[in-house]
Amino acid sequence: MPRSTFIYVMYIRTTPERLWSALTEDAEFMQQYWFGVHCESAWKPGSPWQMLYADGRVIDSGAIVEADPPRRLVIRWRNQINPEFNAEGDSICTMELEPIDKAAKLSITHTIEREASKLIGATSFFWPQILCNLKSLVETGSVVLTEPFTAN
Amino acid sequence: MVKSTFVYATYIRTTPQKLWSALTDPEFMKQYWFGMHCESNFATGSSWKLVNDRGEVWDAGEIVEADPPQRLVIRWEHQMRPELKAEGASLCTMELVPAGQAVRLTITHSVEREGSKLVEAVSGGWPKILSNLKSLLETGAVAFEEPYRRKK
Repeated sequence: MPRSTFIYVMYIRTTPERLWSALTEDAEFMQQYWFGVHCESAWKPGSPWQMLYADGRVIDSGAIVEADPPRRLVIRWRNQINPEFNAEGDSICTMELEPIDKAAKLSITHTIEREASKLIGATSFFWPQILCNLKSLVETGSVVLTEPFTAN
Repeated sequence: MVKSTFVYATYIRTTPQKLWSALTDPEFMKQYWFGMHCESNFATGSSWKLVNDRGEVWDAGEIVEADPPQRLVIRWEHQMRPELKAEGASLCTMELVPAGQAVRLTITHSVEREGSKLVEAVSGGWPKILSNLKSLLETGAVAFEEPYRRKK
């Protein structure tokens, strides 16, 4: 089946447990590395999931498809802000965490069942910024980008 | 033309000059590249080699373009594993762009063939190397030293 997929792997000097928390229930921590955005969910299979701006506007919503802390999280993810992205329907974002030496390996796979997806194009650009912020925040106490980088 | 391509972007809290130096200085490179280092003058047309700590040449080729501290293009031919060597030359492009107080480093590594094993191999290697490089430049220490050791 035609599909668009973005894959990103990063190694962070932390534990899978701490990383899991930074990616899920620690909303305040997430706001620091995700440019003010955070998620709301009970993080259990079947739970609703939302990503929101600080003012409460919903950016993306969906549900938790799989949650196996601190190893694997699968989110059904649909954009709610951009009409073009919204029209593409559901994407699936899989996060896998694995301890390697003194680091944790984080693999993000974000995919949708259509060719040349605009949603995947946009997330491909922003995932590295968010994950680099997360790595810097965990390893140094501060983020690397205080606002999203948009120049090309 | 049919191609296999790996693309990876990372944002590092440093300057383009320091990052260029980190990508071309053999002693610094050994720290984040698991003991490997490059030998080259890093000028357009120079020969280029990637060598391990026992002096074995893993990859060889030449500098196709060098525009410090912005752009480096390497013709990169694997030398150790016969099935990768058989694929011939790959092209590795490194682009450095200022991004706020950071630098965006984009690596594009491609071969003119479908299903390239070389591109598959570097897709696993680059995230490890670049995660270490980011940690080393931002914190003074790498993220991990044993790229294949799984914690129990």
